[in-house]
Amino acid sequence: MKVSELLESRRSNWSELERLCGTMEGSSRRKAPARTLTRFSTLYRAACADLALADAYQLPPGMVHYLHQLVGRAHNQLYRTRTFDTATWHQELLVKVPQRLYADNSLRLAFCIFWGVFLLAMLMAYTSPPFARQVLGSIFLEKLEEDFSKSVVNPGFGSAKAAFYIMHNTGIGLKCFAFGLLFGIGGLYMTISNAAMLGAAFGHMARLPGHRDHFFHFVTAHGPFELTAIVLSAAAGMRLGFALVETKGYTRAASLRRAAGQAMPTMCAAMLMFLLAALIEGFLSPSAAPYELKAAVAVVSAGILMYYFVILGYPRESG
Amino acid sequence: MAREVPQFDTSIEIVTPENIAFRYRVAGPFRRLPAYLLDLLIRLGVFVGIFMIFMLLSCLGVLTPLGNFVTSLAYGATLVLWFAMSWFYGGLFETYWNGQTPGKRIMQVRVLTVTGQPIDGMQAVLRNVLRVVDMQPLVLCQLGLLASMLNDRFQRLGDLACGTMVVVEEKQWFHDVVRSGDPEVIRLAGLVPAAFLPSRSLTRALAMYVQRRGAFSVGRRFEIARHLAEPLRRRFDLPADTNLDLLLCGLYHRTFVTERQEQPIATGSPFLEPAEAMAQLDHGAVPPPAPTVAMNNVVEDGR
Repeated sequence: MKVSELLESRRSNWSELERLCGTMEGSSRRKAPARTLTRFSTLYRAACADLALADAYQLPPGMVHYLHQLVGRAHNQLYRTRTFDTATWHQELLVKVPQRLYADNSLRLAFCIFWGVFLLAMLMAYTSPPFARQVLGSIFLEKLEEDFSKSVVNPGFGSAKAAFYIMHNTGIGLKCFAFGLLFGIGGLYMTISNAAMLGAAFGHMARLPGHRDHFFHFVTAHGPFELTAIVLSAAAGMRLGFALVETKGYTRAASLRRAAGQAMPTMCAAMLMFLLAALIEGFLSPSAAPYELKAAVAVVSAGILMYYFVILGYPRESG
Repeated sequence: MAREVPQFDTSIEIVTPENIAFRYRVAGPFRRLPAYLLDLLIRLGVFVGIFMIFMLLSCLGVLTPLGNFVTSLAYGATLVLWFAMSWFYGGLFETYWNGQTPGKRIMQVRVLTVTGQPIDGMQAVLRNVLRVVDMQPLVLCQLGLLASMLNDRFQRLGDLACGTMVVVEEKQWFHDVVRSGDPEVIRLAGLVPAAFLPSRSLTRALAMYVQRRGAFSVGRRFEIARHLAEPLRRRFDLPADTNLDLLLCGLYHRTFVTERQEQPIATGSPFLEPAEAMAQLDHGAVPPPAPTVAMNNVVEDGR
């Protein structure tokens, strides 16, 4: 068969496939009838066959190039992005993530570093007054002292505050996670600096008798969820970074990909905790509720976290 | 499946489940940066628009008894929206728009896995969250730019962690066979011996030459055509004053456009619907392959 004759016979099919690709790329894809879809896949297979035989047909290079892009374009419409697999989310979040975290060394490391630095900074700020000023800077410290010099009870604007905390704290958590990718060093830095700043603020506030009650009245309720979420996101980031160092026999890229698949659900759990913490921080913490209620919320949320990490996470025989 | 072949430019080969290999061009920084900037612009525009609406709402809210509540809600919604757009804009678009964001669609690029398969939601979100790291400035350039220079698929760190890459998906014009109405070309095509069958590489060279010769001056055409056309002229016993440029055109005309005796390459059309194809098989309608001209050619040459 001559090339020109072949092209005459194929031309209409190719341009039809091109037209259908346009349909599939647009939003009218959902309304397309089944007949169109089967026609599309038939045409795609035919174009694949033409491309495979292009060498035997001795098609000119320009035409082969055209076929390559046509097949590529149709391929991307036929094999489409899989969206989130919502059916397995609860399985992933409630069974697999705690199981994985229970045996996760980077979580233990992040936990030790965060709380170690936090307590150390708190102790230092409590005993030596200039320490907090050096860590936090005087502008921030004055703002902090001013905020807690009076009662923090201010029940209005709850949703605006919650939204601000979602944005600010989850943003910090995501950054903590992302910078873990730099061999874990970025994540370590973020964890240590966050822990030092928080610890210094706590220590400084505990030292000032006028501010102490207001401060702890505010931070008690949401503390457990928020601090755990930061540790968790730092740990998920370190998982990525350490996978680059200890590859367990994989290539570095493959090891990183494996760790990324595991780190993402952990990060989802952390974001959920940030969300809960922000809701408590926005609505309950600044409310006029008695301190006993806030303390009870803190105890219950700590209990939920213990249940999540220890009881759900405890290794099982049956897997 | 990506085939293990040495890669010498930005095109990579993908093998599909249909067992067809086709090529993609990987998108470099000069295509991806504009796409990113466009996305940034769109994000900013949408945010400013929604911010204005919320401001208007909260202005209305002040006048009503529920003022504080409405203002707080509007402010909160704006903040959450800003957060979601700055962290999850790319991830959500790439998940639901099949690997593209509006900016990527305008620049005609698409995110795929390194094996050419579509990405899933997790990969889309993760590669966009990790953009923060890629945006870190180094001494001379961004970290992501450095990372993408060090591998052959222009993957930034986020891409490396998810096993994704960005490919160009351009719409191309259909290149038809060049049909020449020049009587001299047709005459020369007739002078080519019927037994002459151009080899595969010769066919390719002819196609490339004829498709591009329009861009050259007459003198330059002669210069280029000479290397191939001169030996051919001698082989075909044509007079010395033959126009070498037109000789190649004639050969092209004979190879691609006019009749030549050759067996059909594809016996069954790939466009048959399955039912028809089955029917054809049942009736045994597939003709046996005829002896090829190439073989005849060898026999004649050997004589």
